[in-house]
Formats: sequence, C-alpha cells, structure tokens
Amino acid sequence: MKHLKLKALLLSGLLALNFTACGTAPASSQAGSSSAASSAVSQAEFMNLETASWEEIVEAARGTTVTFYGWGGDENRNRWLNTTVADYLKENYDLTLEVVGMNIEDILAKLAGEKQAGTQQGSIDMIWINGENFYSAKENGLLYGPFTDKLRNMEQYIDTEDTETLYDFSKPIEGYEAPYAKAQVVMYHDTAVTPNAPANAQELLEFCKQNPGKVTYPALPDFTGSAFVRNIVYELCGWEQFQTMEPDYETVKAAIEPALEYLRSLNPYLWNQGQTFPESSTTVDSMFADGELVMSMSYGPFSVASGIEQGLLADTTETFVFENGTIGNTNYMAVAFNSPNKAGAMVAINAILSADLQLTQYETLKELPVVDMDKLSEEEKADFEAVDLGQGVLSQEELLSHRLPEMPADLVPVIEEIWLKEVVGKTNS
Amino acid sequence: MASKPWTKGVLITTVFLILLPVSLLAIWTFTGRWPWPGLLPKTYTLRTWQELLFGTASLGKLLQSSILLALVTAGVSTVVALMTARACVVYLGAAGRWIQWMGMLPLIIPGTVLTIGCHLVLLQLRLSDTWLGVLLVHVLTALPYSMAILTDLTARVGTKLEEQAQLLGASGFTAFYHGSLPGLMPGIFASMSMAFILSYSQYFSTLIVGGGRVQTLALVMVPYIQSGDRPLASVYAVAFTGSALLVFAILEGAAGLFRPKGGR
Amino acid sequence: MNQTRKAVVLLLPFGALMALLVVGCAQVMIQSFGWVPAFSLRQWTLDYYQTVLQDESFVASFWLSFRIAALSSLGSMLVGTVLCAALTKAGGMEQAVTYLVRLPILVPHAVVALFVIQLLSQTGLVARVGYAFGFLEDSSQFPQFLYTGEGNGVVLAYLWKEIPFVAYFTLALMGSIRQGLGQAAENLGASPLKSFWFVTLPLSLPAILRSGLILFLFAFGGYELPMLLGATLPKALPVQAYLEYLSPELRDRPYAMAMYGVILVLSLVLAGGYALLMQKTLKRLGGDADGQ
Repeated sequence: MKHLKLKALLLSGLLALNFTACGTAPASSQAGSSSAASSAVSQAEFMNLETASWEEIVEAARGTTVTFYGWGGDENRNRWLNTTVADYLKENYDLTLEVVGMNIEDILAKLAGEKQAGTQQGSIDMIWINGENFYSAKENGLLYGPFTDKLRNMEQYIDTEDTETLYDFSKPIEGYEAPYAKAQVVMYHDTAVTPNAPANAQELLEFCKQNPGKVTYPALPDFTGSAFVRNIVYELCGWEQFQTMEPDYETVKAAIEPALEYLRSLNPYLWNQGQTFPESSTTVDSMFADGELVMSMSYGPFSVASGIEQGLLADTTETFVFENGTIGNTNYMAVAFNSPNKAGAMVAINAILSADLQLTQYETLKELPVVDMDKLSEEEKADFEAVDLGQGVLSQEELLSHRLPEMPADLVPVIEEIWLKEVVGKTNS
Repeated sequence: MASKPWTKGVLITTVFLILLPVSLLAIWTFTGRWPWPGLLPKTYTLRTWQELLFGTASLGKLLQSSILLALVTAGVSTVVALMTARACVVYLGAAGRWIQWMGMLPLIIPGTVLTIGCHLVLLQLRLSDTWLGVLLVHVLTALPYSMAILTDLTARVGTKLEEQAQLLGASGFTAFYHGSLPGLMPGIFASMSMAFILSYSQYFSTLIVGGGRVQTLALVMVPYIQSGDRPLASVYAVAFTGSALLVFAILEGAAGLFRPKGGR
Repeated sequence: MNQTRKAVVLLLPFGALMALLVVGCAQVMIQSFGWVPAFSLRQWTLDYYQTVLQDESFVASFWLSFRIAALSSLGSMLVGTVLCAALTKAGGMEQAVTYLVRLPILVPHAVVALFVIQLLSQTGLVARVGYAFGFLEDSSQFPQFLYTGEGNGVVLAYLWKEIPFVAYFTLALMGSIRQGLGQAAENLGASPLKSFWFVTLPLSLPAILRSGLILFLFAFGGYELPMLLGATLPKALPVQAYLEYLSPELRDRPYAMAMYGVILVLSLVLAGGYALLMQKTLKRLGGDADGQ
C-alpha cells in the first residue's frame, strides 16, 4: 500500500518536473523577462554601436574579452592567434582574445539553436567564415552588421572597391564580414617520386593512370576538396555560365555533366578506387607525407614551404597549378548576431586587418595578405616584399595570374550534394 | 593443469596487443617524417612536445579544467547513486527495482540521442554553453555505472550496524557515517573511478552542450586526430592517458587507505 | 510517512536528472513528428519518418551501423569470455595482466581510432612489416580496413577497447563461480573444459550478455569512431543524423530528429526485449531452484 502511494507520488513529481521543463520553452523564446536586465544592457550597447565613434568603440572594448570561433585543426594558426594576435590586442587595446576551435557547421548550428531559443547573449563574438556558410548565416540572420564601415583599417589598408571585398562567392557582403586572408587552390607533388606535374585535367587523368591508387582528394564538403571539384568543373565547363545560374539541382547537374563524367572516369585510378575519399584535406596531407599518395592539394598557396621547414615534407616537394588557373577566394571574419561583446569583436577584427598583423600572418602562416599593396607606406611595402616564403612554392605574381573567381555561394552546396550522389563510388557505364 | 599453455598464449597475445599500439603512440610523438616503407621514422623532432608543454594550448589549464570537471562528475554521480540506492534498498523494497531499471536508461539510450535531447532542454533552461550544463550531462552518462556498482553493495552492507549505532544514541547521519559508510567505501571509489573516466573521455556531449565554452583535453585532442596530424594527436593522447592513469592511481591509493579500516 | 518523505528526498536529484533525460528524448520525438513551433512547424505528421525510411542512403547507414554494432558486440563477447576464462586462472602473471587489461577501458575511443590508423592503414605499421618481410610490394596491396563502407576499421577499434571491457566486468562473477561450483564439478570428475562449458559459462552468461547488450547499444549510437574511421558513403547512422542536424536549413531539423528517433526506438526495443528475456530466464531458473 505504502509503495503504491509512493510510486504515484514519484510519478506526479516527475510529471511536474517535465511540465516545468517544457513550460520554459515559450517563456524563454519571448526574450525571457528574467533576463530583461542583461538584454537591456546589450540593447543599449547595440544602439550605441550604431552611432558610436571609433574611439568610443575602442574605449568600450577596453578590458573585455573577445572570443573567436573557427576551425581549430591547424596548429600553426592556433599558435599565431594565441600568441602574436593575442599579445597585440592585449598591448594595444587591453583586449583579451580567447580562441575556440570549432567546425563552421557546428558554429552555425549552435547559433541557429540560440536564435531559436531566443538567446540574446550568446557566447560567440567573432567567426572565421566564408562562402556558402556566410551566405546561409547572413540569410538566416545569424550575423551582426553591417559593421565594416566602422573599422579604421578597412579604409586604411583594404581596397574597398575590390570584388573580393564586396562579394564573397559572388554574394554581396554588405558590410557583414571583413577579409582575413586570401587563399588559392594549389596542388603539390614530390619531384623525386613523380618528375612531372599535370598541367590540366586531361594530364591529371594520365597522371592518375600512371600512379593507380595513389591520388585522391578530400571528400566534399571539405573546403579544399570542394574547391578542387569546382576547379575541375571550371576546367571542363568554363566558369562564366555559373555566375548567374539558379541553384537548382537538375539545372546545375546538367551544366556540370562533363565534369561529373570526368570525375567518374578518375575513380578507377584513385585511392581506394574512388569508393571512399579522405575526410579532410589535412588527412590527405599526411597520407602524402607518408608516401601513400603522390599528390596533395591545399588552400594555403605557400603551405609546402611551411611543411618543408617543419620537416613534414621532403625538400623535393613542389607546388603547381593548372595552366588555366585555380580557384582563389578570401576568407573573412564576421560577428555573431548575439555576440556579447560586439565592440571587442570589431576592435579585434580591425587589428587583424592592420599591416602589422597581416605581415606576421604572411611571414609565419604564409597566407596571402588581404592588404592593398598600393595603400601601404614604402616601409610597410618593403617589409612585405622582404618576406622569404621558402622552398617549393610559386611566386605571388604567378599565383595571382592564375587566379579564377569563385562560384556563387548557393551553387556550392548543390554541387556538393551532386558529387555525393553522382561521383562517389560510381563509374561511367 | 592441461590448459596452462593455452592460457599463457591468450595472455601473452593480450599483453602484446595492448602494448603494441601504446608504444607505437609513443614513437609517433617524436616523429617528424615517417615515409613508407620505413619501419622507423626517418626524422625525429621535439615539435609536438614543445607544442604541448610550452605551446599555446596551455596544457596546465586544460588538465585543470578537465580533471576538475571529471572529479566533480565522479563525486556528484556517486552521491546521487548512493542516495538513490539507499532510497531503493532501505525504503522502497521491491518498488526499488523499478527505479533501478529507470537508472539504466542513460546506458540504453545512445549517447548521441541523449546529448541532443538534453541539449534541447538545457537550451531552454539557459544552461547550454555552461559548465553546469555539461556537468549534468556527464553525470547522467556516468550514473548507470555508479548505480550498478553501489545498489548491490548497499543491499549487501545493509543497515544493521547503522541501526545499532542509532540504538546507542547516534544521530541519523553519524550512524550512517560510522555504521554503513566504511563498508561502502570500496564501491564509492570504484564508482568514482568509473565516472571519472567516463567524463574525462566525453567528446560529443562536451562539444554540443559546452558549445566550445567548456574546454577539455578530449575536446582539444579530437580535432587533431580528425585533421590527421598524427604526431600532435599522439602527444595529446599520451597526455590524456597519462593524466587519467595518474588520477586513477591516486583514487586507487585512496581506496587502499580505506580498505583495512573498512572491516568486512 | 516520515519514511516516505525520506525516500522522496533521497530520490530528488535522481528524479531531476531522469526528468532532464526523459523530457529531452520526448522533445526529440516530438520534433521528429514535425512539431517545432520555433521554426513555425505545427503539423503532426509521419512524413519525416516516411521520407527518411525510404531514403536509400538512410537504409545503407542503418545497416552499416547495425553491422558495426552486431560484429563488435558479438566479437567482444566471444573473445572477452575467452580472455576472462584465461584471467580467472589464479597466478602472478594473470594478476599483472588483469591490471593491464584495464588500460583499454581507460583509453578514449578517439585515441583508439588513432591506434587503428597508425597500425592498420595502408601505410600503417602492419603493412610496413608486411613489406619488410616481402609479403607486399606496395602499400596499396595491403587490404583496406579503414574508411570502407563495411566499417571494418570501426569494428576492429571497438574490439580493441571492448574485449577487455567484457573480460573485466565478467571477471569477478566468473572467478567466484569457478572457485565454487566449477571447482566442485572438477572434484566430482568433470574435465576442466567440461566444467567450464557446462557450469561456469552458463552461470556467467547473464553478465556476458548484459555487457554485450551495452556494447551493442553503444556501438549502434556511437559517434566518434565512425566519424574518424568511416567511409564517405555510407556514413554510420549517428554520423548521418548529426550531419542532418547541422543542416543550415532549420526547417529540415525534423529529418535529423526522425533519424535520432529511429536510433532511440530501436535501442529501447532491444533493451526491453533483453529485459523480458532475462526475466523469463530468471523465473525459469528460479523455478528450477525451487523444485530442487
């Protein structure tokens, strides 16, 4: 008898708990009155930022902490952010930088979840972003902006009329993100193993036939793998027609059919017969370093030099691009819609645009800088020119003369989906 | 006696299979380049150890936060399990079986579903991205193990000693402390060790619920494994396993201190 | 009354934690039926399940996960029992190995993935040894265990970690059975093998099966290992579900939740089935015991 009563009591207790837990959902999505105080503060800050002068923004950021979310798998970049950039911000702005490594998909899902729950004060300030992720984040209201017109260094160091400042994968930026670094797809091989590098798609097919099982590319949606496939599309279908194409599965599929056929014809000669592809570009890099592959590729045009310097790659490794060029794009920094420290984020982004930090990024990470060489002082220019890029890479001029523009952002996920359905493990019958 | 060589074979194979990858891991931490088909690396470097010890990842801070989280998880999970076991064994009798079955739910529901579900609720409670939120999910993951260890033990230890103490005039808690607790001590340490290691190795739940704001060693290590930087991944793996072993040894030592006093 | 109140107070933290879990899973289920008011989805429907269950890639994912879970739990139970039997033979070496066997339990899955990559990839240590002894001429001749649609690499990784798990968690029970009833059977003239097969093993079986079930459920819903060692296609169910969860199109969320729903329901059904089976077996055993 006693037990029965107890069970009933427990049950009702659990139900009550359930009820309260469910009950908080609508309450909190109405911007929760309990947190009205804190959101009022952020509201005031928000209003402030719209009209605030740059000096006021810098002042507001003093003594605060800013968090920077982005991919965390690159040890060199993590070190650069945590030392050079963090020290620079601390010294010049009394701003503490906290770097959090997270994949962009996770970051956006997190922001979307917070948007859904009505979280006014999130935990992300700055985001490392570009392309289709920027496009969908901006469309879904996950970003704060426009803000780049506030930044001092935007005017001072960046070519504001440049297409890559105005458009990200052909989609208007409208002040919602500021450039971080320039990237360009390059490929590399070890001249001691394969003397000649392929100069176009047809030669690449021959190259794969000569080295069966020893070539592959990262599985899409890896950035590098995705760019490589778009590059193949450009090789076989040109690039102009895509600039105005509707992001419709069938339309895109019809347009890229020659490239799909080509990619399927590669499969039998690829690593694992194209049944499966390595998950990330860094995995491809280490397979190349082991000698499991004879070719690798990178978004960082000078990454071979770093690899040789660190002893991860053989001295005989050489970078190459297709004669028709490879895709180049810029990656950017944006601010989260619910960033608790928007002023701090703007100050940090501004600092990363400076010639000082862009120079260290060029020197230590060997990333193409985003500063406009014409806007630099003679002294700054000399510093950039004095940077020794190291072995095994192409010159900046060579790269820029082989640089192709990106595809519109909304086509990218469509191509990735088509690749998954039409290329992986498939052969031309 | 006849089965002796067979037994030996199994055990030697086991030792070999356990130690082989561990020693390989140690070599990888010093590896620069290790091209096919060499049996040993071509070049050696201290890069990863420098990065780990003097680099920016601030190993000390990571160790501190991971161990703290795991120890608190271990403590909370053990205390909750003890309370539940006591309620079931001492007060509920047969109905306690029901509670015990429910306690196994976190073990039955796969970790990914558990995490996503709890995340939905914690978001509404504004506990996502917080240390407390991560703690709750870790405790939930560890609870079935703690309960499995402690429920049987509570039943075995019983309340006789405690009741005697109470008859002699001790208050409820004092009676528990001197009467039942010593007998429960081995189970408490076993539960803490298990809960510790479960929390210490959580990746998915810390990633989702912690949202990057709660940093642990496992969370920093996995991207390096994912990105294929094997030397760096290896050095983190060594740091992880080493520190876990150390905490384990300490817990074990502490359990040893209690054992003779336990008086079975 | 005082007693009841004490019980309730003692159960409060447990109840709160369970409420978190139950409400969370309930919300997953609710969203999987198309009810997500926050994204203005207010239509109860089975469409998401229908679409998901008819999708070819989902079916492939499902069977891959099932295969991984079945092979790794069966393998762990079989080999784990053998290992446990070897360990219950008392002796100095066994004690040391018992200590060592706990190491794999302590190593997290992600690190085990690293082990498997370092040992069994086509340029892993095993392939290199094969080359050194002249069995292979090239790395590509080494069989591909990792990143394949069969998930063999994932299974191997689970086995490394879970065989010791089964052995360790059966050890106490099997040890005491062997010393008691097993020894008695041997004293009555049964061979060690017979005594093990007919006495020790059947009595240890519940513990072995229970750890097997736990492993099956864990592997079926596990994320890290298939994420690190899996193929491009098909992806294991939890990986596929999480990818869907990450979709920037928020109104697609119910698809992800339907996948989680399938994992959840299957796990509960399996565990429930096991519980019923055990209860029946226990009753039968209990009946026998009473009869004796």
